[in-house]
Amino acid sequence: MRKLLMILLWAMASAVVIALITLPINIETQLIAGMSVLVAMMILKLVRPTGIWRLIALAFGTAVVLRYVYWRTTDTLPPFNQLENFIPGFLLYLAELYSVLMLALSLFVVAQPLPPRPSRAKLNDRTPAVDVFIPTYNEEPELLANTIAAAKGMDYPADKLTVWLLDDGSTLQKRNAEKIGEANAAEQRHAELQKLAADLGANYLTRDRNEHAKAGNLNNGLAHSTGELVAVFDADHAPARDFLKETIGHFDEDPRLFLVQTPHFFLNPDPVERNLRTFEKMPSENEMFYGVIQRGLDKWNASFFCGSAAVLRREALLETDGFSGISITEDCETAVELHSRGWNSIYVDKPLIAGLQPATFASFIGQRSRWAQGMMQILRFRFPPMKRGLSIPQRLCYASSTLFWLFPFARTIFLIAPLFYLFFDLQIFTASGGEFLAYTLTYMIVNLMMQNYLYGEFRWPWISELYEYIQTVHLLPAVVSVILNPRKPTFKVTAKDESIATSRLSEIGMPFFFIFGVLLLGVAVTVYKVYAEPFKADVTLVVGGWNLINLIMAGCALGVVSERGERAASRRVKVSRRCDFKLDGEWLKATIEDVSVNGARVLVFGASADAFAKGSASAIRFKSFADGTEGVLPITVRNKEVTSDSIAVGCYFSPNEAAHHRLVADLLFANSNQWEEFQLSRRGNPGLLAGTLWFLRLAIFQTYRGLVYLGRAIRARGQDPRSGPVGKVAERVS
Amino acid sequence: MRLTLAAIGITLMAGTVAYAQSGPFDMTPERQDLPQATPPAEPVPSPPEPNRAAPAPGEAAPIAEASPPTAARRYLLPFPDLTLPGEYARRPWSIFLTPEQAAAKATVRLGYQNAIIVAPEASRLTLAINGDRLIDAPIASPEKNSSLAVEIPAGTLHAGLNELELTASQRHRTDCSIESTYELWTQIDPAETYLSLEAAAPMRWKRVDDIRAIGADDEGATTFNLIVPSMDQAASTQLTVRLAESLALMANMPNQSFIVSDQSGSPATEGQANVVMGVASDLAGTLATLPPGSETAPTVALVDDPALGSSTLVVTGPTWSMVQAAIDGLAHQVDRPIDVQRTSLATQLWRSPDVPMMFGATEAKLADLGVTTQEFAGRRFRTDFAFGMPADFYANAYGEFTLLLDAAYSPEVLPGSHIDIYVNDNIAATVPITAYGGEILRHLPIPVTMRHFRPGENTVAIEAVLNTETDKLCAPGATGLDNGRFVIFDSSEFIMPDYARLGHTPDLAGVGGTGFPYNRLSYPIPLIIDRVQPDTLSAATTLLARLSVAAGRPIAVDTTASVASIADKNAIFVNTISQIPSTVLARLGVGDEARSSWGETVASIRPDTQATFDDWRERLRGSGWRGQASRFQDWMDRTFNVSLDTFRLFRPATPEFTPGGNDSLLVAADANPAGTGSWTLVTAPTVGALQEGVRELTGYASWGQLNGHISTLNPVSGGLSSIPASGHAFIQTQPFSFRNYRLIAANWLSSNALSYALVLSALSILLGLATAALLATLGRKQ
Repeated sequence: MRKLLMILLWAMASAVVIALITLPINIETQLIAGMSVLVAMMILKLVRPTGIWRLIALAFGTAVVLRYVYWRTTDTLPPFNQLENFIPGFLLYLAELYSVLMLALSLFVVAQPLPPRPSRAKLNDRTPAVDVFIPTYNEEPELLANTIAAAKGMDYPADKLTVWLLDDGSTLQKRNAEKIGEANAAEQRHAELQKLAADLGANYLTRDRNEHAKAGNLNNGLAHSTGELVAVFDADHAPARDFLKETIGHFDEDPRLFLVQTPHFFLNPDPVERNLRTFEKMPSENEMFYGVIQRGLDKWNASFFCGSAAVLRREALLETDGFSGISITEDCETAVELHSRGWNSIYVDKPLIAGLQPATFASFIGQRSRWAQGMMQILRFRFPPMKRGLSIPQRLCYASSTLFWLFPFARTIFLIAPLFYLFFDLQIFTASGGEFLAYTLTYMIVNLMMQNYLYGEFRWPWISELYEYIQTVHLLPAVVSVILNPRKPTFKVTAKDESIATSRLSEIGMPFFFIFGVLLLGVAVTVYKVYAEPFKADVTLVVGGWNLINLIMAGCALGVVSERGERAASRRVKVSRRCDFKLDGEWLKATIEDVSVNGARVLVFGASADAFAKGSASAIRFKSFADGTEGVLPITVRNKEVTSDSIAVGCYFSPNEAAHHRLVADLLFANSNQWEEFQLSRRGNPGLLAGTLWFLRLAIFQTYRGLVYLGRAIRARGQDPRSGPVGKVAERVS
Repeated sequence: MRLTLAAIGITLMAGTVAYAQSGPFDMTPERQDLPQATPPAEPVPSPPEPNRAAPAPGEAAPIAEASPPTAARRYLLPFPDLTLPGEYARRPWSIFLTPEQAAAKATVRLGYQNAIIVAPEASRLTLAINGDRLIDAPIASPEKNSSLAVEIPAGTLHAGLNELELTASQRHRTDCSIESTYELWTQIDPAETYLSLEAAAPMRWKRVDDIRAIGADDEGATTFNLIVPSMDQAASTQLTVRLAESLALMANMPNQSFIVSDQSGSPATEGQANVVMGVASDLAGTLATLPPGSETAPTVALVDDPALGSSTLVVTGPTWSMVQAAIDGLAHQVDRPIDVQRTSLATQLWRSPDVPMMFGATEAKLADLGVTTQEFAGRRFRTDFAFGMPADFYANAYGEFTLLLDAAYSPEVLPGSHIDIYVNDNIAATVPITAYGGEILRHLPIPVTMRHFRPGENTVAIEAVLNTETDKLCAPGATGLDNGRFVIFDSSEFIMPDYARLGHTPDLAGVGGTGFPYNRLSYPIPLIIDRVQPDTLSAATTLLARLSVAAGRPIAVDTTASVASIADKNAIFVNTISQIPSTVLARLGVGDEARSSWGETVASIRPDTQATFDDWRERLRGSGWRGQASRFQDWMDRTFNVSLDTFRLFRPATPEFTPGGNDSLLVAADANPAGTGSWTLVTAPTVGALQEGVRELTGYASWGQLNGHISTLNPVSGGLSSIPASGHAFIQTQPFSFRNYRLIAANWLSSNALSYALVLSALSILLGLATAALLATLGRKQ
């Protein structure tokens, strides 16, 4: 009753606002209203950007956005009888409407993200039997070893915890492949992983045929196991010690709970972060999703399964015959299906696993193509907005998640629309310079401010646009192809261990240089037009400004596709743990300063620098976080550095038995608090103005870097026409 | 009138040119052969001082020479002056002829003078009557007035309305610039432009309806002499006003006035009529013979009187009520029930076709509004059309109408050219031409602001300003080239959207435009005047007649009401300022000291501070960044029309107005003390000034300038100046509808921009709170 009353009240308030917004007021009133709203939003932001004030500020922004939409609809479309203007003009209009629709859905989703739930680690929850599934396809055994070791190391009664290595890389089908080489490799992998699993105390499982990809693999796991709950970790996602402690208890609170999802935390930068060098200081791209959006979805009981780092209830999965496999994003699809059957999900906002990002730009794009295509398939086959059984908020949430992946269309249109005017003189947006100022500029600023309100701490200004732009170029064909052939795409595993040792241009980077060139030409045309055709300089300046923003974005993208070579293969995590360092058979006091998947940096006290020979084998000894027992981990010295009171030694791990992997996992993954601290250190809202200036500086530098890489590549090709990958030659020349 | 308004700037500009014209035409040697080598044949120069009273037949063209000296004149122009400006000007209007006039053998004569820079070989003046192009002559009379005369073929004229159309196509002798086109003009001389009708007989009216053929005198004015021998009788005043209103509506000339007297006068001349009104027994001393039956029944008749001349209209009856019945009979012909909207304004006698009223969403083809498909070879093309707006039009702040333009321009036309839309001579929209190579514009939508709309007749001008390479070079003879550059098609459309309708007062533009709010009253409107003062009565009669023409129906008046009884009624005050009660002056925002101070001679004319300041600012506008900044400011001003006023939430009350020394007449309007209607005051320092002032005010040129809260007539500077209203009382004119109120809100908020921002903010806060409340009840909580 009260709910109905509130909805009615809200609907009335909205109706009044809409009535006011759709008044056909004149342009000076619009200008003054727009400015007033901007000032109001700025003041609210400075005073108190949270709680009810945040909602008021968003209402202000919504008003301006709606006014823009009203004006855009009633005043700016080219006349229908000028088809050459009308068709591109209408496409642009649709693209803008799409953006506004997505903004509206986002507003709904993140209207009030749930605050993080209190930790359950200290509660004495029931401990039901849990099966841990680690599906693998082609990952290296070392990587799997860390993950299995970390999974086994989770704080949970050993008799209730079964770890399954689900190997799809050496199925019977693969082992009997027609190509002998592949068959031999699969056979070898089969044996190797079986041994690894046995060593680490995990169950190895494979199947006859690779049907339904990851979903089929997981379902094979379900068929062979019996535990009440199922935890799923990707091969590179190693769980922290407290993963189950933090998640399992929720299932007893709600018998209809089918999913507890946790964030994906990455130890290494994604290619964008690596190439732009923003990993240390700027929140990662996915933090917006896991930091805000999943919490927002959680409010509406619409948090969905992300394929890994989650616990699911077997009973619920059995109701739908396991994981759904129509689409190539089985995770979200499974969640849609179970939500529609009345099961609930929750999201625990604490990084409890650590994983790896794809290393190269190409594999990053491959991963995103899979997501985009999978979401399109869900949209096509399940159509969440109209799916029976979902609540209205859930429908809106899923609409937001799936429709998001149509962004390549809108981005493409925004990219080329100004060129229609600059190159072909088409009037696809009929407005004067003054109207642009009063409507479009206010709308754009308000839009940025709203984004800042919604995601400020997690997403800096213009970064969303950059990520969307860099994906658009290759995602557009992928999305078009899945729309044309919805059943065609197949699951491709994202490679995460490629070499990035050398600086080079990405093999799929060329289109970005081409686009940059075209946009640059657009700038030249702008300058020419302003002087040659002064009678329409105002519109030319506006459109030219728009093109310039596109150019800045495109310039920044040049940096993204210029892959930096990086010495450290993976991200180091600060740890500060006491240990003993073995030097010539003697144990010296030492501290582990940071660790990565491959090695560590250790401060050794009481020794002379000469004693450490590069490449010499040694070992460190420390107490495990998990059970307090002491273990010895073999290492190889890589370099050394004298500090004021100690010697800093860089070393590789040289694990040669399962127990060693357990120790590495313990160093890296046992303590999830350290990941949270790292995330928090990057969070912080630079604000719209400072953020924009920062982005501008970044973009200019990255444009320069991209062009330098291009220059090297061209020179290299000129010198050696037969040379293969551009990057290697570039490295040699430099 | 559009052309006259437009002509103001041009005549000012042309002033210097006119002075220079008496001198020999200074030409560059290589063009010496051009203008004067072949003197045009048709125009016959008039003598420098044409004797208007008795035109000598010898001065006319050869064909006119044949007309006998008894020929009667029917002047064609209803204005004191008519100027055809620019490269192309067109002026259609109609005259009313009696059957006898139409049947008479007639010659049309057109007198004109043109600017010296008009190239005769490339410029033509035409006059068409009922579609027959009778005159088509080169424009070649820069030094003095010339007359063109042509005999009208039999059967061209007909009884009733006859359509006239003047066009001038003019080219500059040497200059190809856009600016030079503003120097082109041809001025039509009203005294030398007439129909010459053989024999005087056709000028006699035989039917009462022939009053409509009254026409104008040689200065474009129309005068009714109302002779009311017993005007001191109280019963006569209301009847005088009502008779005048009926006659005004019948004649419907743009510059008509009434002179009321109790004395007999002289015979009426061109553009005049003598009208005698009164109880039959009172008329004996005025008329030699009374029309038959006037002693027994209501009578309206035309008589020939030895003193008052032929065709004197007599309105009489045995008693005042019979006289009233006679007047009602006249009024009935021109009256319109209160609940019937007119579909058009009767403007044919100065601008044809009749102007359609646009009461709401309307679409009209320009062809139906009098625009013709027109090809054009010059550099500045202008054409216009008119339409009528009701006085409760309330969309001047937000409204836009749309012009769907069908036009084309040739490849010769360069980008940078533009098509401008003017509303009542204010620029209202500009469409830049941005494409090379010519283009056909098919129903190109042009949104045009309604800011400059006013109640009553409105004109929209479409002007194409065309730049070409040929004009930049400007080779000899280039101005006269006849290669079509631009064409406008009459299939273009005018789309009027639904707009907000709400009456408001004070709004003198509404009073002038449609007589609002007096045009739709259910009771006789109190008219507070000095009844027995002939000049005051003449002024009041002229004013009410003009209001009735604007309203399109006779306005019933009550001349017996007292000031004390009208606090909650609409009312009109016409009197000298000293006779106006100070409470009324205070109500209308006129300072009381005006009663004593106004009319004193003023030693000197005070300089206009604002104009001087603007002039200096213009002169000191430098280049450099300051110049750029002020250019940006200008652009902001132009684009957004934002001023400090925009940021005012509450407007301060305007101080009381005291008319200055040069003002000869003051018109003020405001809500009545009860706020339920509108009071209008017309006053002057003396009765003479009042009568002369109202005559000037009701003239076509001035009447359209009535505006705002107070307008004053200044004979020295010419024209009216107005003080805008600081606030409005609103008068509901339409039944409640959500649609209308939404538009009313849009207009009010658009004219109070800061209020919109405040309301929007308040509602946003409300929405934010509602959302917070909603989110607290929906979804998961924690």
